[in-house]
Amino acid sequence: MSSTQTSAWRGLLLRRAIQVLALLLIIGSVCFLMVRALPGDMAMRIAASRYGYDFVGSAAASAVAQELQLQRPLWQAWLEWLGQLLRLDLGQSLVSGEAVWHEMAHHLAASLDLAVTTLILAMLIGLPLGVAAAVRPGGVADRIALLFAVVLRATPAFLLGILLMLLLAVHWGMLPAAHDDQGGTLWLPALTLALGLAAGLARISRSAVREALASPACEFARSKGLSDFQALLRHALPLAALPVLAYLGVHLVLLVEGTVVVESLFAWPGVGHALVHAVFARDVPVIQGAALSMGLLFILFNLLLDALMLAIDPRQRKPGASDA
Amino acid sequence: MNADLILEASGISVHAGSQRLLRELSFTLRAGEVLTILGESGAGKSLLADALMGNLPAGLVAGGEVCIQGQRSAARDARARRPLWGRKIGLLPQEPSLALNPVRRVGSQLEEVLQLVRGLPAHAAAEQSAAQLQAAGLSASGAQYPWQLSGGMAQRAVASMALAGGASLLIADEPTKGLDAHWRDHVTGMLRTVAETGGAVLLITHDLRVAEALGGRLLVLRAGELIEAGEMADILRAPSHAYTRELIAADPAHWPVRQAPVSGPLIVQGRGLSKAFNGKSLFQALDLDLHAGERFVVQGPSGTGKSTLGNVLLGLLRPDAGSVIRAPGLATTALQKLYQDPVASFPPRQTLGSSLRDACQLHGEAWSALQGRLERLKIDASLLTRRPSQVSGGELQRIALARVLCARPALLFADEPTSRLDPLTQRQALELLGDAMDESGAALMLVTHDEDIARVFGQRQQVFAAH
Repeated sequence: MSSTQTSAWRGLLLRRAIQVLALLLIIGSVCFLMVRALPGDMAMRIAASRYGYDFVGSAAASAVAQELQLQRPLWQAWLEWLGQLLRLDLGQSLVSGEAVWHEMAHHLAASLDLAVTTLILAMLIGLPLGVAAAVRPGGVADRIALLFAVVLRATPAFLLGILLMLLLAVHWGMLPAAHDDQGGTLWLPALTLALGLAAGLARISRSAVREALASPACEFARSKGLSDFQALLRHALPLAALPVLAYLGVHLVLLVEGTVVVESLFAWPGVGHALVHAVFARDVPVIQGAALSMGLLFILFNLLLDALMLAIDPRQRKPGASDA
Repeated sequence: MNADLILEASGISVHAGSQRLLRELSFTLRAGEVLTILGESGAGKSLLADALMGNLPAGLVAGGEVCIQGQRSAARDARARRPLWGRKIGLLPQEPSLALNPVRRVGSQLEEVLQLVRGLPAHAAAEQSAAQLQAAGLSASGAQYPWQLSGGMAQRAVASMALAGGASLLIADEPTKGLDAHWRDHVTGMLRTVAETGGAVLLITHDLRVAEALGGRLLVLRAGELIEAGEMADILRAPSHAYTRELIAADPAHWPVRQAPVSGPLIVQGRGLSKAFNGKSLFQALDLDLHAGERFVVQGPSGTGKSTLGNVLLGLLRPDAGSVIRAPGLATTALQKLYQDPVASFPPRQTLGSSLRDACQLHGEAWSALQGRLERLKIDASLLTRRPSQVSGGELQRIALARVLCARPALLFADEPTSRLDPLTQRQALELLGDAMDESGAALMLVTHDEDIARVFGQRQQVFAAH
């Protein structure tokens, strides 16, 4: 039994490791090509970002082009970039001149903060609501959860963010609106992201718990003498946890996606925010670094979820069951 | 009031609105007794059990009065009996492997009953649970997960749990559905032990063989009405009602042996066939000839490779070694299969008529020929406007038979075609299948777990033993 367990874990790690490699190659190349395809003169944009628009002439632009060898053919630049990537050298920011990894580590830490807080908030809001809705279908909790889900899933993050900002920060003054030196700036962006995720979680946990409650395993738990609450706690919730986790795995992409909009909105110094700035400045190495960081974040979360599913569901540790 | 009176049911009935599903029924059950309720599906057997438990589906209302070990309540008042679940009434679920929670260890699922229902402290519950598992021959299974147990082990684990809360009345609803003789005897033995140790068993079944083995008293239900009641042995010896006689005759053990037809030319030949699944060898170096008109029965417990052998012969699966040779000149569609679950073998959103017309067209058969066949299979033409889920299992399996004959098969592989039907329907469907085969002169390969069916049907048998 223990040997099949370790092989299941090894398979999981191996799969994710291959994903990381493929991700490096694909995201990196796509970013590289997209930036090259953007309209406008690249050297001019970089020079403008460095020195400001008022001080840029064609002389500054050609100096930049010379320095960064921008006139090279595409494939040369791509090959060189690939070599650097394999050496885990993402180069320096074209704008600030700092090492991209160094900059990214800072942004990644901020994004991770935001993502983890969001995840915890979303689970704290969405799961109890979903379970309450499942226990009494058609009841008050069920109807509130449905309304909550429909409204929030239909509201884009930027609108929700502004509404929350107006309400909580401006109107009630409960939380700081955007990044400043006081604590608590994390809460508004986290809440904005969490509400959208919680809406989906509430729906999915409702149907998962309902299905688990109707399963023969739960019926037997009740007929062998457990109370409804005990059967829910000990049998329905462990069964329902699996589809909920699987849902989270798919929808974590919302978190990564949402960070671009929400971090910019709240000036949160995360990867998404850095990405937006780098796109404006045509800062190719930073764009690549940001995209790679986001992909890594996504894979990291999925790895954690996979591990959690493996821990909760012993069936996945069966030999031959590890191929997803 | 008698001290050993465990269950007293007075005038139990079940209604859906104004429609009566079960007519008033009264009986008692004492410690050490077994009461069997016999009837085909739809007779109201399970409704009776649900009404006693207080577990009827929404919309159904029970009438009468239930008294369980001195606790009297109106049958309608389901909530009054909810606290008795596990403590006084145990329910043996139909499919034990589904009733166990797959993500929790077997031991902890028993332990929680001892702790939460019996009220034992944690360490005592753990000790007691280990002792009970050992008594059930499951000492090594406490740390295992349910899907690691065999069907029989799961059955024993579930029985221990159902009784762990101290219940003295055990309701067993079709506990032997789909089990072969070996496991059927096992369940029978277990139920007998419950009665012998001072419990009472209410057995609900359509399997006469279990009822016969257990003995005790018998109630025969038909369409919600009690038609016969008395001692099992008396009724079986001299059934007074025609329906009871029919039920007894439908037991495969009482079927007349079918005449074997004359066999014709060779159709399919298997040479040195081997197949393994998940590292487990199902059959090895098997040689097999099937001739036209032959009745070849493959019998054995589930999971032993019976269906796999058929699928290999049909060319649906590739053997690991060996070869399957078809007689020259056979059409590519000459080998056909009749599936175990007829509902799954029809497109769910098409009417049966349009499915059948498609089959006719595909195989170039005249619609009138199919209509004639449906008539011989006693299928009313009005059923063809319905969808597969809207007809009974027996009807659908006969329609599936009519459909498969469109292809004019030289060999029909029938994979447990009646294991989901109750005995009366099963007998009728199998007889029609046999007649249709006799008429067409095709070879029949029948897979069954039922040794009696194998005996009456098989001209030649292959028995797969449990591994």
